[in-house]
Amino acid sequence: MSLNNELKMEIYHTMYRAQQWEAGLMRMMDEGLVSGFFHSGRGQEGTEVPAVLTLHRDDYLLYDHRGCAHMIAKGMDLVSLYGDFLGNNLGSTRGLGAGIVHIADPERGVLGQSGTLGGGHVMAAGVGLSIKLRETEQVVMNFFGDGASNRGTFHEGLNVAGAWKLPVVYIVQNNGWAISTPVSYATAGGSFAQRGAAYDMPGITVDGMDPFAVYEAVQTAVDRARAGEGPSLIEAKLVRFRGHFEGDPGKYRGETELAAGVKRDPILFARAHLIETGLQTDESLQILEAAINDEITQARDKAMTGEVPGRERLAEFLYA
Amino acid sequence: MTRTITYAQALNEAIAEEMERDERVFLMGEDVGAFGGIFGVSTGLFDRFGPKRVIDTPISETFIVGGGVGAAITGMRPIVELQFADFLYNAADEIISKMGKWRYMHGGLFTVPMVLRMPEGAIGGAGPEHSQCPEAMLLAASGLYIAIPSTPADAKGMLKSAIRNDNPVCFFEHKALYSMKGEVPDGDVTIPLGQADVKRSGNDVTVIAWGRMVHVALEAATLAEVDGISVEVVDPRGLRPLDTETILGSVRKTGRVLITHEAGKTGGASAEVAAIIAEEALADLEAPIRRVCGIDTPVPQSSHLEPFVTPTPAELHIAIKELVAM
Repeated sequence: MSLNNELKMEIYHTMYRAQQWEAGLMRMMDEGLVSGFFHSGRGQEGTEVPAVLTLHRDDYLLYDHRGCAHMIAKGMDLVSLYGDFLGNNLGSTRGLGAGIVHIADPERGVLGQSGTLGGGHVMAAGVGLSIKLRETEQVVMNFFGDGASNRGTFHEGLNVAGAWKLPVVYIVQNNGWAISTPVSYATAGGSFAQRGAAYDMPGITVDGMDPFAVYEAVQTAVDRARAGEGPSLIEAKLVRFRGHFEGDPGKYRGETELAAGVKRDPILFARAHLIETGLQTDESLQILEAAINDEITQARDKAMTGEVPGRERLAEFLYA
Repeated sequence: MTRTITYAQALNEAIAEEMERDERVFLMGEDVGAFGGIFGVSTGLFDRFGPKRVIDTPISETFIVGGGVGAAITGMRPIVELQFADFLYNAADEIISKMGKWRYMHGGLFTVPMVLRMPEGAIGGAGPEHSQCPEAMLLAASGLYIAIPSTPADAKGMLKSAIRNDNPVCFFEHKALYSMKGEVPDGDVTIPLGQADVKRSGNDVTVIAWGRMVHVALEAATLAEVDGISVEVVDPRGLRPLDTETILGSVRKTGRVLITHEAGKTGGASAEVAAIIAEEALADLEAPIRRVCGIDTPVPQSSHLEPFVTPTPAELHIAIKELVAM
């Protein structure tokens, strides 16, 4: 779908919804209701949301630990996401998968996460193979970071995806840091997009803080995959606003980098754009945002009514 | 009615029958296509089923297994093959934590109905990295089934079951057994996984063996018979599920047990079986539990040294006599 005004609105309000959902989760952490072991996605909504909004309901999503904006954009119910973090039966995994990182929704193609970073590269290729063998027009999208791009599975996954023209869209969210290790140190050549050529697929660099640019770039890749023309590698350059994990003081990166990134908040950028182009006013957006905030509060309240699993569920679903 | 075919032919038939029966089943691995697999197990399947059902892969073990998991959670039923069981280390995370844990980690929302087939074992000169029997490595990987057939009939019936089973199954095939002939029943015969088979009935000593060692144990039983010792050979046919009922039933009957496998003794799966016997049937034992297993070295590269690392019928026979003398 081309980037029309309706879509720009959808991108904005979904990003806002993702941001507020996460803010609600942080409050639950402060209140001691949820484990503080979390990897904030703040700042990365500008990539995760528009990218996933290019997908159809039956397209597949593999993701990593950073935030939940992609899952929210895929249409997952906010109550189930809170339930997963609370570890109760209202979660998507009905109390058995943790909030980090095994949220799943087979009906919406949300396939879950490999706790070992980079496990998704080869799994995504296998999903692409499955699509090809079943002869459907589905696409699989795999999100990962700069750190995970240096695992051997990246080579094996992208090589076979390129050689077999599998319908995979690989998106590396390059925020410059693998916890405390910078890309400049860990990555030969400093660019992930340039690896695309080695795997016979387009390697595209996009400004990950510009949600509209991301949308265009990813839509192109998704169309290409759906048409049977093969995979793409998209490198979205962005800034992680918070530490790697909650509690990480992030002293390894300079304050200027962070400050510069925060100035380019994709959510504020999109909001300003909507007002500047006359699509919305500050007042109309405030009404929309208030409704979203109500939705978040209700989702939280509903999620809180769930039950955590008892010991008898320890081996549930171990074997089919 | 039965036919006499080789273990490799039995596997070939199982794969073909299951692929015919269910279009979601496909085979993927190195050289499995037109080449027919380096041990000939998939001979003819490429011609019969085509490149969308029998798929050659690059040398990419993490993809062979991890890609199999991706296909398995999106509606397919892959049979993936590692060219040698030794290569399981190249895909350890994919086997143990993706294939084995994806269902559990995600609250049972997915099944991973895939079979990972692996040729194992020493055949003379293949060396330390192409000769291992690594089944014990997967004992701690809950979520994975472990199947180890020792005869053509077991191979065919168990592979059919493994393919139909919604759990991920690690399926070990000893390379030296590929050319072994045996009777295989006609028709659509499946053997449930986790069901042991008493390969030889006896009253004096229980020998628990799997894989190629079943045949070494049967030879030793024949030698022991000359000494008037009646040996019962129990083949668990796999390690998970483990048929403890059959194993313990035999141990309680004979009171003397010897466990043998080709893999090295230390950390081998015999220790697990021994511990279970000690926990559940100590009072029924007339003698300590005995293990006669591979020597704790890598399988030597030297084909002159190689025969020394795995137990022979004579070595098992001596151990059986010692057990009876206690």
